[in-house]
Amino acid sequence: MAAPPSRVVFLNLAQIRLPVGALTSILHRVSGVLLALAIPLVAWAFARSLANPEGFADIAAWLANPGVKVAAVLWIWALSHHLLAGVRHMLSDVDVGSRLWYARKSAYTVNIAAVLIAIAAAGAFW
Amino acid sequence: MKISIFRYDPERDSEGRMQDYEIEPEPHEAMLLDLILRLKGEDDTLTLRRSCREGVCGSDAININGRNGLACITPIRALGERAVLRPLPGFPVIRDLVVDMTQFFKQYVSIKPYVVDPGPMPDKERRQSPQARERLDGLYECILCACCTSMCPSYWWNPDKFVGPAGLLQAYRFLADSRDRDTKARLDDLDDVYRLFRCRTIMNCTEVCPKALAPSRAIERIRLMLAERAL
Repeated sequence: MAAPPSRVVFLNLAQIRLPVGALTSILHRVSGVLLALAIPLVAWAFARSLANPEGFADIAAWLANPGVKVAAVLWIWALSHHLLAGVRHMLSDVDVGSRLWYARKSAYTVNIAAVLIAIAAAGAFW
Repeated sequence: MKISIFRYDPERDSEGRMQDYEIEPEPHEAMLLDLILRLKGEDDTLTLRRSCREGVCGSDAININGRNGLACITPIRALGERAVLRPLPGFPVIRDLVVDMTQFFKQYVSIKPYVVDPGPMPDKERRQSPQARERLDGLYECILCACCTSMCPSYWWNPDKFVGPAGLLQAYRFLADSRDRDTKARLDDLDDVYRLFRCRTIMNCTEVCPKALAPSRAIERIRLMLAERAL
């Protein structure tokens, strides 16, 4: 018997305790979406900075804007998290670090390392 | 201590509500299920499933303080002063803590959970070496309580298309069985973006398994079998 659509289902994510692996997976998605959305802007800025000395100066001046700096730090967080989480996934796919104990440790490592890299980037920007 | 329980009566309620109970554990009560059964003694409208009371049948799987587990093997002292009990996430609620597991078992049946051997029936049993039998350790112990599948985000969004961790653990249990002769058809059936590959290795399944099994690793083994077959 198929459940009628009106059936009550408990699925309140705020009331479900998500393990660190689930949090890492959500952040993996969030960082992926941010990276995809940023592609046009980053590609444009990169191309312009390489086009000629004036273009480079334009982008350098643009990057001195505090709002742009914050966005750049966020982008570096997204890139680091997505890259590290992706490597963690690929290793897990060939059965490296796929036991629960290691998977928990590597999930914490990815989450913390991405934030540390973003902090280091912020330090370099300011 | 305070126990807060999800209540839902389809004949009266349009949605679930939480009901609070005050209860002090008595010395002979060790597990959460003992408390729930005492509450049911006082309020017989409270509805739950339970059978063996000792972690073998898997019928009292519920969400305990946000995490799936079996009430019968969850020690009261591990809960602290407050326990919040809800039905298994993502499964349609029939009443209170009882969920409809039709879709779960449909997925289980779909992986053909039995040895397939089209050859002639042996005179006695199908023989298996101790080494081949050992490969089933960590797989055959599954009690189909659905703690894993109901904690899996991939299953929440695609319960009709993704087999789910419990079903895939069983799929690997038969792929790993030396007596089974259906490997090719089993792998063909699972080689699908939804049925197997909807798994994103989040590993909630392995986190919550009350029997300490690792459905996520069984899923990886199936993926590796598919990869080896393709190479």
